[in-house]
Amino acid sequence: MSTQASASGSVNEARGRSAQDVENSKTHFRVCRFIIETGVKLGMRSVPMATACVLYHRFFQSASLRVYEPYLVAMSAIYLAGKVEEQHLRTRDIINVCHRYFHPESEPMELDWKFWELRDSVVQCELLILRQLNFQVSFEHPHKYVLQYLLSVKSLLNRHAWSRTPIAETALAVLKDSYHGSVCVRYKPQHLALTSLYLALQTYGVQLPRGELEWWQVVCADITKAQIETIMSELLQLYDMEAKCT
Amino acid sequence: MMERDLLRQSVSYHGDSLLSLLKCEQSENPDFKNVAADLSKTTSQRDKEEVSPVLEQFIARKADLLFAASWKTSTPADEWQEDPGEAYAVMPPLEQFMEVCFEERRELFYRDVERGDMLIGRINSVRDFGLFVTLLCTAGGLERDIEDLEIKALCPLREVPSTGNHDDPLSYYQIGDLIRAGLKDIDRYHEKLTLSLYPSSLAPHLDKVKLGVISKEDLPLHYIRGEKVVADSSQTYEKLLESSLGLSNPLNVHFLLGKLGISDTQTPSLMRGLQSKRFKEDDFATAIRKKQSVSWALKCVKAGVDHFKSGRHVDAMNEYNKALEIDTNNVEALVARGALYATKGSLIKAIDDFELALENCPTHRNAKKYLCQTLVERGGQLEEEEKLVTAEGLYKRATVLDDTFQEASEALAKLQLRIQKSLKLKELEAAKEQEKAKTVETSAEKLRKILKEERRMKKKRKRSTSSSTSSDTSSTTSEDSHASSRKKSKKRKHKRRRSSHSSKKHKRRVSSCSDKTVEDDWFPAPANTSASYINQKQSISKLISEGEPSWGKSRNEDGRGRLDDAMDRSLENVKYGAQPEASRLGRPEANGQATDQHRSLRDSSSSTQSEYSLKSDRHSKEFSLLGRKRCESERGGNDKTGRDQEDQGKSSGATLKKDVPSGLFNIFSQIAEFEKEKKLKK
Repeated sequence: MSTQASASGSVNEARGRSAQDVENSKTHFRVCRFIIETGVKLGMRSVPMATACVLYHRFFQSASLRVYEPYLVAMSAIYLAGKVEEQHLRTRDIINVCHRYFHPESEPMELDWKFWELRDSVVQCELLILRQLNFQVSFEHPHKYVLQYLLSVKSLLNRHAWSRTPIAETALAVLKDSYHGSVCVRYKPQHLALTSLYLALQTYGVQLPRGELEWWQVVCADITKAQIETIMSELLQLYDMEAKCT
Repeated sequence: MMERDLLRQSVSYHGDSLLSLLKCEQSENPDFKNVAADLSKTTSQRDKEEVSPVLEQFIARKADLLFAASWKTSTPADEWQEDPGEAYAVMPPLEQFMEVCFEERRELFYRDVERGDMLIGRINSVRDFGLFVTLLCTAGGLERDIEDLEIKALCPLREVPSTGNHDDPLSYYQIGDLIRAGLKDIDRYHEKLTLSLYPSSLAPHLDKVKLGVISKEDLPLHYIRGEKVVADSSQTYEKLLESSLGLSNPLNVHFLLGKLGISDTQTPSLMRGLQSKRFKEDDFATAIRKKQSVSWALKCVKAGVDHFKSGRHVDAMNEYNKALEIDTNNVEALVARGALYATKGSLIKAIDDFELALENCPTHRNAKKYLCQTLVERGGQLEEEEKLVTAEGLYKRATVLDDTFQEASEALAKLQLRIQKSLKLKELEAAKEQEKAKTVETSAEKLRKILKEERRMKKKRKRSTSSSTSSDTSSTTSEDSHASSRKKSKKRKHKRRRSSHSSKKHKRRVSSCSDKTVEDDWFPAPANTSASYINQKQSISKLISEGEPSWGKSRNEDGRGRLDDAMDRSLENVKYGAQPEASRLGRPEANGQATDQHRSLRDSSSSTQSEYSLKSDRHSKEFSLLGRKRCESERGGNDKTGRDQEDQGKSSGATLKKDVPSGLFNIFSQIAEFEKEKKLKK
């Protein structure tokens, strides 16, 4: 009896944890959506935006959502990422955009105590993030890899086929959307780049020449087809999450 | 609009499963319905081994984005850069790493190479009808591994440009040379390539590249690196990439995106919520900031207005300036600051602020109102300073801005009347003075003409005809400048003096000009003038002896020189034309000295001359008033001395001596020396 109870208890616990996890991942999804949206409105380039998301994900790998306000962490992550990737953003702009995100169609904030407190919070949180990540805030992103791989793959294709097939757009879109989840911190940037390009080529049914090696084997010697498939399915799941979260 | 071909390609690759999913997911999409019929026909085979339902589901759901005509935003930038440097990593062709088989590479090459491409090869034989080349690699856009394919191409004689000397152009080329050529023609069926060394055979974006013999350094980077890989098999793609400098370039993403034609700040996304049409302009940072700046600035302006009303002008100004720092060209702040300036009396600054405010917001009522008031006030100030035309301009602007503003239109009307009156007055005066001048001059005119006549002849011969014609025209322009200058004059009294003075000079010049025309009549005169010279001499000596006390010391020393100088200057003015005079009059704020200095700098033909004209201008005014009559009578003799000084190299001196009695001539030369000394001292 007791074992049964404990078994069901542990099952419940497991379910509970996973339920919490599911809830957390939804929160993370929403906050990352917030980061990306804010990034677009601030005119952030793709690499600083990626850095902001990675900072956020890494922070919550070791910190708890119950303790820290995720949206504040997100704002500070944007601010910090701007500094790291040399696209400096003003706190005033970040606060303006975020304020309007939460209060649509509202008047811009006045230069009052609320504004200054919020600004203070962002700056303090920035320091917190730095400490939490041991000041390791410089990351390698898949963007440059995906672009280099694109150029190499382009050389394999007929120029007309290339120019009519939006491979680059799809690969970059998939890459950008991948930041809604934590794939960006769990896989190597080369693998992520490869997978998004693979996905794009598969989408359009592009036929590439065959040699002793497949193109993706050449580009990343240490990856297997299975791994690519795994990453791909994770990427595609993110699109399903969108429906659940927004 | 969906891309039919793309869809077809995708469906044929994935098979029926995709098609059914598409139909399911895209049932709402009208664009899809158009294409759906076509698709059903295409499917049957399935090329791929595995089934990937997740992917197919994804494709089906996002088909409206993935296959939309507008999805493809990239524009291939076609310029071929000679040396991209290390902006990104240039890699050898992927074919090489993949070890694509011989046949396939060959097939792909013949499929994909096109007219206008650039190829590099080695000459393997030189025939009388052309060059045979074994291809080494591709250059330009296409990157393929073709060296071992040993493809041969012909560059016929007609496609080889001549080297200039009349040798056979082919003699320039030798077996083993590396040449870069354009693909002129291709016969895919027979696998025949025709090369050309003319730049016209290349595609437009490549036409800057030099064709012909090249050296090893000119080989494309992808080929050179490929060679290294062949030599060293441990060099994998990854290793090569990681070790290349281009990968470490922090801006490589930016550069490569640019090369692809995709914007870095607006990369595409497949998430529904991140589609660009979902974003509103007002939510962007710059828009919010602008609104916020305006609001913050307004707060400062309000505070400033409070200060202003309580009389704390300094504080008010500070607040306005703060507001303008937060939001430059903020309309309210500008209007408020303008009002403050106007109250303090800085009308020009006030007008500037109001004008700027109106530029930004043409319908601002207060700006208009205040501007009109300030314009009228400023107009009044200008009227007192006699700047009538500027004042008129301001009144006109005020009436244009607000035609109901009575003060402005009244002021304008008053001013216009005043201008007309002053114009009439000036005309009357000018007429009077012309009369006077005429009467004065007619008495001495004959005498002067007699005395100067020969001098004039000589002068005119020496000087170009253009100068005399210019003096004709300039004398007429000076008339006009008189009329206009009157309007612009600062002080009417000074103007009167100057104008009368100048009109006199002008008259002198006119008559001197007319000397030319009447010189024939005056020829016999010289015989009679000797007697008048004697009279002249006496009056001159009287003048010289009495000159000092009568003219006053300060002027005296300059006086004698000036007397001559004035004569000389009036002669010079024949050359310079009335331009200097007119310009002097034309510039209202110019004081005599400044313009004279300008003139002296400009017209430095006879430098000593202009120096004196400097002083003579300043004082010639008084001189002319006082010594007018004397001037006329003594002109004859002094003209001669002046002439002596001037025409040092002129032969007229010789003729002069003939006409003048020797005794008189001695006196004159003494005077000349005396004055020379004076001038040197100065």
